[in-house]
Amino acid sequence: MKIWRRTAFSPFVVVVAFVLLGSVASAHHGRAGYGNEISAVKGTVTEVQWKNPHVFIAFDVKDDKGNVVHWLAELSSPATMLAAGMSRTTLKNGDEIVVKGKVGLEGAPFALVDSITKDGKAIVGDPNAEGRFINNTR
Amino acid sequence: MKNRTIILIVALVAVLPSAALAQGAQGAQSTEERGAQSSIPFPTGWRPCPRCQNNEDRRQDTIKYKVQSHQFDPHDLTGVWGYDGIGRAFNTPPDLTPSGKQQHDSTFGENAPDGTPLHSKDTSGRGAGAKINCDPLGWPRLYTYNYGFEFITLPDRVIQFFELNHTFRTIWTDGRKLPDDPPSPRWLGWNVGHWEGDTFVVESSGYDERPWLDASRPDGGWTHSDEMRVVERYRRVDFGTLESQVTVIDPKTYKEPWVTPKAVTKLVPGAELGEEFCVPSDYSHFNDDIFSAISGTKKK
Repeated sequence: MKIWRRTAFSPFVVVVAFVLLGSVASAHHGRAGYGNEISAVKGTVTEVQWKNPHVFIAFDVKDDKGNVVHWLAELSSPATMLAAGMSRTTLKNGDEIVVKGKVGLEGAPFALVDSITKDGKAIVGDPNAEGRFINNTR
Repeated sequence: MKNRTIILIVALVAVLPSAALAQGAQGAQSTEERGAQSSIPFPTGWRPCPRCQNNEDRRQDTIKYKVQSHQFDPHDLTGVWGYDGIGRAFNTPPDLTPSGKQQHDSTFGENAPDGTPLHSKDTSGRGAGAKINCDPLGWPRLYTYNYGFEFITLPDRVIQFFELNHTFRTIWTDGRKLPDDPPSPRWLGWNVGHWEGDTFVVESSGYDERPWLDASRPDGGWTHSDEMRVVERYRRVDFGTLESQVTVIDPKTYKEPWVTPKAVTKLVPGAELGEEFCVPSDYSHFNDDIFSAISGTKKK
């Protein structure tokens, strides 16, 4: 099981980055702590937090020195996630995922999700239409 | 009656294949705005909440429930409407009174080192920036952002249920008058309603002054006083369309009434309200462990 560190700060993983226009209004909290670029992060799911106001996926990412870093991936509300095709059982502990999203500033291990892929299949959003999920959810 | 039943069956037989075709065709382009996945189906006999549906679901339900051609009683607002009501209508206020200006200034929160507002002092935290404390959203704010609402029309009252915070208000239509001096302020006010033609007019007063008019923005919010009166006008334009307008009258805060533009909310016939509680213990975790780190307000 190979886990990669967050791409924006690692030379080992391909970075896919798009500069996005503004953040979405009406989010349940400020998004000042997220950057504007979309990066890819690969890791292993450790917990699905199916709660209001937003669903979070905890996942572990191994950095380039082999240390495990605990990440949190932020999605939208449970209701919005059901509309987007994800339930509380879609992802399970141990699943290997690739999260694309806006990541925390200054290396903070947070990702505002734009897509999640498991076994090459998109679970959330569309990895080929970057920015769409982030810009249309809150 | 028998003829009508036969006609109905024939019509259903005629419509169902086309509806199925429409569903199939639209399903092929189900790359709706949030992603490429279909929504999670609900158990047989249960309907998803308004926000649990994606645009494709709503399009299909419009066909399935024949919303376009459905008969309706303009004096019956019953239905699940989704969502938000007037939306972000409170953007440009009338001139503020000195007291109103003082109140507005008190809503500003912390700024980032570069001067960018990080959050407001929102009383509920819903919207942007402030910590969520599950205080009620108040009125008319709940009609700007609510995840969907349902009107139930009864002989002596109209009840308006809201998915967000799983709450409701009662609009009395039994002829009672608003009290001159309500014994206790209410977050959602004291409400009475009457019909003017096909327009349902709701008048309210007796508000708790703590909540704001609208969802907060990082740079502050628009307040109201305990003297606020609100007049709402609802009109069911057709079976699937609700038009509404809100007027805030609060001379202690605003020099003139604040009248929102007319807004349109669509019926979501295939949805039913779910359960969107604000749970303090969940939000405590969100505020303390997640929000502050993400928002950049965590004390290091």
